[in-house]
Amino acid sequence: MAEQKTVSTATQVDDPTKRREEPTWMKEARLASWESYLSTQLPGIRDDGWHRTDISGLNLADLRAVDFHSPEASASVSPWVIPALDSLSSHSGVLIQEAGTPAYLKLDSELADKGVVFCDIETALKTHGDKVRRYLGEPADLNDDKFTNLIKSWFNCGLFLFVPPGVEIANPLLSFTSVNYRSSGIADGAVLPRLLVVASEGSRVTLLHSVTAPLSQAVDTALHAGLVDIHIEQAAHVSYLELTEFGPAVYSVTNTRAWLNKDASFTSLTAALGGRLVKGEISTYLNGQGASAEVAGVVLGADNEKYSFNTIEEHNAPDTRSNIHFRTALKDSSTSIYQGIIRVDREAQRTDAYQSNKNLLLGSGAKADSIPKLEILADDVRCSHGATVGPVDQEQVFYLMSRGLTAAEAEELIVLGFFTTVMAKFDHKPAIAWVGSAIASKLIAHDRDSRKQSAGEQK
Amino acid sequence: MTEKEEILVIKDLHVRVDDKEILKGVSLTVRRGEIHALMGRNGSGKSTLSYTLMGHPRYKVTAGQIWYKGSDLTALAADERSRSGIYLAFQYPVAIPGVSVSNFLRAAVKSRRGTDVPVKEFRKELRNRMSSLNIKDDFLSRYINDGFSGGEKKRLEILQMELLAPDLAVLDETDSGLDIDALKTVASGINSMTGPDVAILLITHYQRLLNYITPDYVHVMQDGQIVMSGGSELAHQLEARGYDWVAPAPVV
Repeated sequence: MAEQKTVSTATQVDDPTKRREEPTWMKEARLASWESYLSTQLPGIRDDGWHRTDISGLNLADLRAVDFHSPEASASVSPWVIPALDSLSSHSGVLIQEAGTPAYLKLDSELADKGVVFCDIETALKTHGDKVRRYLGEPADLNDDKFTNLIKSWFNCGLFLFVPPGVEIANPLLSFTSVNYRSSGIADGAVLPRLLVVASEGSRVTLLHSVTAPLSQAVDTALHAGLVDIHIEQAAHVSYLELTEFGPAVYSVTNTRAWLNKDASFTSLTAALGGRLVKGEISTYLNGQGASAEVAGVVLGADNEKYSFNTIEEHNAPDTRSNIHFRTALKDSSTSIYQGIIRVDREAQRTDAYQSNKNLLLGSGAKADSIPKLEILADDVRCSHGATVGPVDQEQVFYLMSRGLTAAEAEELIVLGFFTTVMAKFDHKPAIAWVGSAIASKLIAHDRDSRKQSAGEQK
Repeated sequence: MTEKEEILVIKDLHVRVDDKEILKGVSLTVRRGEIHALMGRNGSGKSTLSYTLMGHPRYKVTAGQIWYKGSDLTALAADERSRSGIYLAFQYPVAIPGVSVSNFLRAAVKSRRGTDVPVKEFRKELRNRMSSLNIKDDFLSRYINDGFSGGEKKRLEILQMELLAPDLAVLDETDSGLDIDALKTVASGINSMTGPDVAILLITHYQRLLNYITPDYVHVMQDGQIVMSGGSELAHQLEARGYDWVAPAPVV
């Protein structure tokens, strides 16, 4: 098997666990997942959720897990994080993980006193083993796919967030992960974050997580694969935002899973703003009566970027509600496929589920597909879905141009607006502005590049 | 008194939309300081003329000329026309979800004035103009025309016109769909715009707006041409006698 060239034996898998001083149960769990990894195939375009998502160009055997390090008191806030910190202003804690350098960690002491845990995953394994074992020490799941197994065995960064019962955290916790493949000298690097969020009964928390890998063609291939597990106990609320911005060399595969107990609620916003192939799966398990989820996604593609997103809403209890809004705007020859599944169990009477997917085609080679799937076993439910694919409304462009905006400015404003209406569903205003400005930067930078290019062609 | 500049000169203008000829030889001259009312039945080509003046890409000039401030207008894109001082108040302004009125107005004003206006100063100017148009503050955070009532849409058109201070304003059926109070507010907004350097082309189906705004000239359009021109009294005659008095309704 190809992988064996790089990491072939249990001893080698053992190395990172030893160096990180992880508990024995973690080592065992890593090894078990590694066994599963070796025996599972890379997903193919015929596999569920991977339609028209060809990842065969990614050679996992050539990849090596990038080194991340635990926080050090002497670590400072890296300059690239400062603009984000400024725009997000008030927050309760920050975790910055950068390949090859010690992480930076800060948490309001008042929250720490209340029992809130917010730290990198390595520290969590060292000092909060009792709290994380239940989730990270679980035996390998036979349903896990290749990437989930890879992350479970090799995760090299990530975080643990624990909110004790009844604790409401008003300001968000921030997590920034950066892999500068070029300057860290890591060719064929893999960054494999594992995030674990546990919101105890009646608690409330907002987590903003951003992962960036600068725009560089310096390496042939790099991989970001993340596993995000969010457990929301009775009447607790979690707001989770994920912003990813990758360069054209980076494949990204993220698996986000949220489990909702009785009367729990979940609000999520996923923003994908770059990468060679960006695959994301967001599963919401509404397991308790009265649970509700608001899941939003915004994707801005350019050049030859490929995006593939699945949302899965599993209504497993009565009186549960889910609202999915996924929006994609594609420039140049970028492509997107969205598959949205709503499953309603026999028990889940009075389910209220809505799914909307809208796609704006901005480039002549852009292409978007939308596949809704409803699997409904209960009889008293309200489920609906809608999808649109089309170009920017030329009447909107004309209206803005009649007010002096150039065609490019008009399109930028319309695309931003297209995203804003779904981002507005996320319940943290500064975060929306933060993501909005990241979208605007990509739109503007890209317009500038293509203008330069066409000017060059004319000469 | 010296003659004012001919800001707009239209000569024998023919315009096609898709494959249908709508304007069939329109000629019109408008000087600075003048208010012209363009009246006519629905479908006579009034709105086509307004879209053509603004440079809508679907409206193709197949013959004739449009001169604006002495230069050929037809080569300019809509945004260039706007920046050079042409304004169109739309009959049916489109909604743009997700784009707030305040962001939009700032971008528009910046384009027209060629420079960023300081936020505080802009806010102040905006509040003054909004209060005279009876527009509430929450208007600014709403999305452009999204869920707006007919009256709100028309007020936003007038607000933009005031902010962009055009040299030539074309108002397409700005009076339609307004109740009497809204009509008075909008009319006083238009009247406040008038001056020795501003030219206004009022497109209207009914005479009622002209009870509040007195035009210098009234033109009647029929089947893609201006078939009659006169002074402000022509509007009253039309009101009393109907368009059949000018020309019979075209056979459809």
